[in-house]
Amino acid sequence: MRAGALLLPATLVVVAGLLLPLLLLFRYSLNAFVPGQFMVEAVTAANYVKFFTDPFYLAVLWRTLRVAALVTVICLILGFPLAYVLARTQSRHKNLLIIAVVLPLFVGNAVRAAGWMVAFGAKGAVNASLLGLGLITRPIDIMYTETAVVIGIVAVNLPFMVLSLQSVIEGIDRAVEEAAFNLGAPPGAMLRRVLLPLAMPGVLAGSILTFILGMNAYATPVLLGGPRFQTMGPLVYGQFIEQNNWPFGGAIAFVLMAVTLLLTTLANLVVQRRMRR
Amino acid sequence: MARLELESLSRHYGATVAVRDVTLDIPDGEFLVLLGPSGCGKTTTLRMVAGFVEPSGGSIRLRGEDITRRPPWRRNTGMVFQNYALFPHMTVAENTGFGLEMRKVPKAEREAQAREALRMVRLEALADRLPRQLSGGQQQRVALARALAIRPDVLLLDEPLSNLDAKLREEVRIEIRELQRRLGLTTIMVTHDQEEALTMADRLVVMAEGAIRQVGTQRDLYERPADRFVAGFVGRSTFLSGTVEAPGRFRTTGGLALACDPGAPPGRAVLALRPEAIGLDPPPHADNRLGGEVELLSYLGPVLEMHVRLSPEDRVVVHLANRAGLAAPRIGDRVALGWPAGAGMVFAEP
Ligand SMILES: Nc1ncnc2c1ncn2[C@@H]1O[C@H](COP(=O)(O)OP(=O)(O)OP(=O)(O)O)[C@@H](O)[C@H]1O
Ligand SMILES: [Mg+2]
Repeated sequence: MRAGALLLPATLVVVAGLLLPLLLLFRYSLNAFVPGQFMVEAVTAANYVKFFTDPFYLAVLWRTLRVAALVTVICLILGFPLAYVLARTQSRHKNLLIIAVVLPLFVGNAVRAAGWMVAFGAKGAVNASLLGLGLITRPIDIMYTETAVVIGIVAVNLPFMVLSLQSVIEGIDRAVEEAAFNLGAPPGAMLRRVLLPLAMPGVLAGSILTFILGMNAYATPVLLGGPRFQTMGPLVYGQFIEQNNWPFGGAIAFVLMAVTLLLTTLANLVVQRRMRR
Repeated sequence: MARLELESLSRHYGATVAVRDVTLDIPDGEFLVLLGPSGCGKTTTLRMVAGFVEPSGGSIRLRGEDITRRPPWRRNTGMVFQNYALFPHMTVAENTGFGLEMRKVPKAEREAQAREALRMVRLEALADRLPRQLSGGQQQRVALARALAIRPDVLLLDEPLSNLDAKLREEVRIEIRELQRRLGLTTIMVTHDQEEALTMADRLVVMAEGAIRQVGTQRDLYERPADRFVAGFVGRSTFLSGTVEAPGRFRTTGGLALACDPGAPPGRAVLALRPEAIGLDPPPHADNRLGGEVELLSYLGPVLEMHVRLSPEDRVVVHLANRAGLAAPRIGDRVALGWPAGAGMVFAEP
């Protein structure tokens, strides 16, 4: 009873702040859209049918999935060594290092994307450096490509991955790694057989977080991908604000959420099963 | 075959010297114990042998090969960590077979060898458990089996018994010693437990402040300690400070005139006395014969411990064997104590 009472405020916030808007959104997605009349009360699956039958929308979904998956894998590869160093450092300045990892988050996504735009442009820092080093002879197109979007989202998501991994790696006894070395495991084998399996909860948490953020990214794809690079986040926004098509916008939002939830749950189950083995 | 030689091994951490100039020659099959107070560099020495700590100077030779710069995974040392460091996500059998897996031993053979190692520590029945389902003593034995399974050239034990209760510790001590002897394994064990060191070692190394103070058998250390530190660290001693006035004559700061080893050079010194070297009611012609007052008395079972004040500055600890018919003194009693001149060990003081 006491515990239940303690949970009450949080429960109320979740119901009022999350479940109600979701239910409302779902209800909207079943309505019909008549141009000029805005939203017409109905119960129809037409919006969902439209999404899943139009190759354009399916391509957007596929692109979003691809970007989010790529971002997650890159964050994992870049983040693991960083998290490991952070977790194992004996430096007195450890707190400063952690703040340095989080620091990029102090700048909003839009501002940061603007920074990338400067860097990626034909006369930007990246091209200038590559040209200067003689690695390329003509400026390469980075701006308004999938590459730019992936780099941009990776930069946003990396801190989340690093922090998730670092907290878990910190809980792994250093002596366990040494035991593996002592028993004849070179660093690669130690990583594969000991460190990674033990860090799995962190890998999972960090990947899910990064994947969700990647699926829902808005400012970065808009600013770095340009108008022709459509992903799910901007697509929802466009339907709601530009087309005024709330039912279809609601349906897309629901598809986005369902797909994200489905994949993360699936990943969770697979990893849990492998770990229980 | 697996002889281990450490030559002038040192390790600094910034300004602190963790290990300084350690030279040891450990023949094949020897059980060597590193003994010393906390922070004296025992673990650091062991970790340099395992390859986890890079020496600042000196070299390590195993089977005649220089392994000083070789990474840990190519050294073939078997280490038992103080907290065991078992792999929490692997079963007992997988833990034990891990080293063999890394050596690419085929699965069937690996499993047989792991089982054999577990049999040596009497844990075959628990092969499928996870480490967290084991007691501390069982985990300790898995750690030992895991290290033995790779047939290491040297077995390295860092306070392997410190997390066990007193009773179990005594059992495991004997078990480890018997296994080590049967397998003929060159072994280095680190401990700060004197009794553990004395019961298990072939040879002991006493360390202090990173340096070796003395290497020798139990008897060497106890009967012929190299310095005052060893005399105090291995076994108990009472230290009386004073001066060697003439060959064989020692005067304490409290004014007692005592007969001592005639070979001791004159000058400021301390006289160390083992508690059991001092006797009650000595014969009239004893080298040293003194009266004193009993200030403290403890019943320790095999012995009775007495603290006797001989002068305002000098107090000695005496152990009386607890035999039938011992007329035990009481606190406040005056007693006569005596010891032969040769029983006192004289160490010159700067
Ligand atoms: N990584 C390190 N960084 C700095 N100093 C260290 C490090 N490791 C050890 N030391 C120092 O080196 C000295 C020796 O340490 P070591 O762990 O070898 O002692 P020990 O004899 O094993 O002590 P104990 O019985 O307490 O385990 C200590 O003064 C310790 O503070
Ligand atoms: Mg130690």
